[in-house]
Amino acid sequence: MDRTLLMIATITIALSWQWLSQHLHGIPMIHIYHGKTLLAVYPLHPKETIHFNAKGDIGISKIIINQDGVRMIDSPCTTKRCILSGHRHHIGDMIACVPNRILISIQGTEKSQLDAISE
Amino acid sequence: MNPPIHIPKPPLHTLQKQAQWLGLLVLASGLHIFEASIPSLGPWFKLGIANIITLIVLVRIGIGAAIALAIARVVIGAFFIGTMFTPTFVISLSATIVATSVMVFAWVFIPRISLIGVSLLGALAHMCAQFVVVEQLFIQQHALYYLLPPLLMLSCATGWLNGALAMYITAQLHTRSK
Repeated sequence: MDRTLLMIATITIALSWQWLSQHLHGIPMIHIYHGKTLLAVYPLHPKETIHFNAKGDIGISKIIINQDGVRMIDSPCTTKRCILSGHRHHIGDMIACVPNRILISIQGTEKSQLDAISE
Repeated sequence: MNPPIHIPKPPLHTLQKQAQWLGLLVLASGLHIFEASIPSLGPWFKLGIANIITLIVLVRIGIGAAIALAIARVVIGAFFIGTMFTPTFVISLSATIVATSVMVFAWVFIPRISLIGVSLLGALAHMCAQFVVVEQLFIQQHALYYLLPPLLMLSCATGWLNGALAMYITAQLHTRSK
């Protein structure tokens, strides 16, 4: 019974992983959210380093975007797990500061959507 | 003068069970705190070694004791780690309640399941519950679920290992108590 359960779980997870991976393409853009609100969108590898201060529920989360990717450099949360996450630079990668309700998500954006953002 | 109040002594068997439960609670809380202090693979991922104690209690003492131990160790752990009533505590407590309920359900209703299968289902339920709570209460972004499949794969491995360890310890305890 245990092996059957493991097999079912592994197959289901692998299939859902594959299905989700199909959505991970396009031009990598960094989306910064506070809860439901989209605060900013930046390209993953900007020509110049970007410093962004995201205002969350308990304070300011300081974010830096450079050639290495995106990372959280300061956060008002107690565990600082978001800072310890380090740099993120692949589509689908995320940094979340749950106490401050800040999410940094690298998403693949189609060119047509990109034009709409820049407008 | 009032007559002396007669307090009935509980049977020795009940006292032994209660003492055993308390000892295991201290052990589970210690493991919970230890796990919080060691570096993990990521902010969403824990090895779940404290859950081994919940599985042992489920087999040796009973369903109610296992649920009580799981909740109590999260509360005691949060008190010592310093996360009491923070979002981390809310996520941890709700995920533990869901995972323990799934484990109890599996133990009672799924025929021929061992502690390995129970632990596997508990680990998967814990991970899924964490994401649902975070998505519903704190960060309302569906993009979060992109992180779920790789973490569920890791949960399969840790759930299986924890279950195997719990089964080994339970067998050893059973042999030595004979």
